[in-house]
Amino acid sequence: MPTAIAGGAIAGGLIADVVIIDGLSFALPLLIIAIGGIYSERSGVTNLALEGLLGFGAFCGGLFVALFGTRFAIGSTAPMYLAFLCAMVGGAAYSLLHALLCVQFRANQVISGVVVNIVSVALTGFLTSQINASVFGAPSNKFVLSVSPRVTINSFSQIPVLGAVFTNFYPFEAISLIMVVILWYIMNRSRYGMRLRACGDNPHAADAAGAHVTRTRFAAVMFSGALSGFGGMCFAYSISNNFSPSIYMGAGYLAIAALIFGNWKIMPTFAACLIFGLARSGAYQLVKAMELSSSFSDLAMTIPYILTLLLLIFFSRSNRAPRALGEIYDKSKR
Amino acid sequence: MRKDAYIVEMRRITKRFSGVAANEDVSLGIYKGEVFALLGENGAGKSTLMNILFGMYEPDEGEIWVRGGKVSIKSPNEAVRLDIAMVHQHFKLVENYTVTENIVLGMEPVKRLCGVLPMVDLKSANEKVRELSRRYGLEVDPTAKIEDLKVYARQRVEILKMLYREADILIFDEPTAVLTPQEISALLNIIKKLRDDGKTIILISHKLEEIKQVANRCAILKRGKLLDVLDVSTTSTATMAKLMVGHELSLDIEKPPACFGTTVLQVKNLTVENKQRFTVVNNVSFSIREGEIFAIAGVSGNGQLEVADAITGMCAVKSGNIILDDSDITHKSVRERNQAGISYIPEDRQQTGLILDFSLADNLALKRYHTPPFCNGMVLRKSAFSRYANELIGKYDIRGGGANGKARAMSGGNQQKAIVAREIELQSRLTIFVQPTQGLDIGAIMDIREKMIQQRNNGKAILLISLELDEVLACADTIGVMYNGAMINIAPADSISANEVGEYMMGVKKYEESYA
Repeated sequence: MPTAIAGGAIAGGLIADVVIIDGLSFALPLLIIAIGGIYSERSGVTNLALEGLLGFGAFCGGLFVALFGTRFAIGSTAPMYLAFLCAMVGGAAYSLLHALLCVQFRANQVISGVVVNIVSVALTGFLTSQINASVFGAPSNKFVLSVSPRVTINSFSQIPVLGAVFTNFYPFEAISLIMVVILWYIMNRSRYGMRLRACGDNPHAADAAGAHVTRTRFAAVMFSGALSGFGGMCFAYSISNNFSPSIYMGAGYLAIAALIFGNWKIMPTFAACLIFGLARSGAYQLVKAMELSSSFSDLAMTIPYILTLLLLIFFSRSNRAPRALGEIYDKSKR
Repeated sequence: MRKDAYIVEMRRITKRFSGVAANEDVSLGIYKGEVFALLGENGAGKSTLMNILFGMYEPDEGEIWVRGGKVSIKSPNEAVRLDIAMVHQHFKLVENYTVTENIVLGMEPVKRLCGVLPMVDLKSANEKVRELSRRYGLEVDPTAKIEDLKVYARQRVEILKMLYREADILIFDEPTAVLTPQEISALLNIIKKLRDDGKTIILISHKLEEIKQVANRCAILKRGKLLDVLDVSTTSTATMAKLMVGHELSLDIEKPPACFGTTVLQVKNLTVENKQRFTVVNNVSFSIREGEIFAIAGVSGNGQLEVADAITGMCAVKSGNIILDDSDITHKSVRERNQAGISYIPEDRQQTGLILDFSLADNLALKRYHTPPFCNGMVLRKSAFSRYANELIGKYDIRGGGANGKARAMSGGNQQKAIVAREIELQSRLTIFVQPTQGLDIGAIMDIREKMIQQRNNGKAILLISLELDEVLACADTIGVMYNGAMINIAPADSISANEVGEYMMGVKKYEESYA
């Protein structure tokens, strides 16, 4: 559960600071996963597989640390960064399954996404136990990870309220922000992004204009795999400090809600993720402050989801999905 | 022009689809810088032939020569590399992109942001598009979104797309089928301009007048075979029509003098607002008797379609009354109106007229499936569906995939025949025809007009709404003209000249003047 908070700035016990710090550490990975979903869906491939992709990515990162973590000097952060890289590669590789099913073999994209999720849960659970038992001789369903360091930028952390943004953040949060900028640029300003969005609106037009629909969609789905893997690894390093089946806590589905709420656009989705993250940490702090039992905290954790439903009722009218979303591209059909 | 100046030559092309020849041994050559028309009925193989040239299909036999060299065109991309481009009947545009974005898609100009980061340079592309559109009179705003554009503007975007790619062999697949008369003459001017600029243009059409206006030569296809290549300037449209249809076609329909009975439909002070709460039909009144064809003429968008929608129950009425045989149906449901005796042949046959992914048999029973013999209580009787369909297929000569074939797979002409068959068989007191012959070849046009007049002779009331003045003049007993949502004139067809109707349509002649 949310990490213990340390550091001088929090000593005052300002709940608002904790809410922001915890909220951001949840919102930013969620955003990266949601952007992965946006890439896939704007290219026209429905992606319900985010949950499975983030789990499989985190598994790959966790496996790397379990196998090679001891070869690095104690206290080195290198294995953590390499784990993130492995998670992205692993997520992208696993997403090939979804891409193959949906793009190449023209399977139903909803079913493919569900299958990818189910297989991911089963496969990573099985492999984790088996590898722990046979390689390390210790039956366990976890890969224990080291603790990610936290960073505080002293000169900014003194700013009232907003200072919390610069306090006790994980390095991956900073990386996430840089990625958001790059991903926004690729989507909205680059050639590839332009073709990707065209494929999601009218693949026939894209094809007639000489953009390869199949290739573009494959790449878009792999983007979603890599980004989900990254997001999954963030959760593994922040919420649990290990890889275990508890990684499948529904963040992938929440990311889908966020991107729909964000109208398949990156910046509005950023706002949606912030709302979800802050609602989640706020609810958690509320339960804590009222000294309720832990069963209430489970209930409080549903607040972001209920919030999603409510907001969707009000905002979904103006929302518009990519026109060709979920549509199997068939050249001969007009 | 010399014989060896062919820019495109198709030699002995044969193409079969599951054994049936769509093109058979077709050979033709096209000179650089001419407008070459391909004329033929629906299903004569014009589009297939051009799709072969554009790389959509590969021919089973035959060769294609472009600029003196033999080529094998396996995909549209290869055709584009040979500077061949095509405007399809169904536009291929990304609707939430701007005009420029659509035009540059696939070959986007790239500039470097801060000298490093590559990004699509839309600003310079906008300029280039603006310059192209000015040069050829293709006025369209480069920054407008496609979804906000009308059909004719979308077509211009398709043309600009070809020009941006510097194509010089331009294929137009029935470009005027979706346009209004004014838009057609604008397009024909654009085509002339393109020709004068040295482009080679291939125009697929079955409209004789426009071929006469712009084309230099014209090939006539019939059932996949090339009948003849004619010099347009020395051939009359009558000769072309005769060759195309294969028999002497009388363009005049036999129409016995009218014999009016009692009033069937009365529209009183009808006012309709559109979704933007804008009054589109303003205080319109008219009535139609048994045995009468009442035609509403008017330029597109003057409220005619909304009148039809209001009578059939497709849109709500703001005020006024619609009375069918003494009963007020103004606020009745669509089904109640159908049963009260209204048949409707809508303008958009694919969206409103048919369910494209249903079989022909299902489509034909669409308004009767809930009544015996098509159902037995809650259970549909499929045998009755197919029996009924086969009967109508014979009676109305509906060709395509038979009773179980999907409506989507049928040609436009046969789709329309199916709708007409379904509606006429209802034996309704009132039948509404909206743009019934749009996009059809001349044979199908005559067939549908004959059916309409036959209904009239049987004592039915007919409401005809058409943008084509010729059609109104050929069929109507009474002509009403709508302008700006108002019915500005109603007169017996034999008391008003074509010129007068035209003046009313353009709003030149006003209601008051006709009484002055």
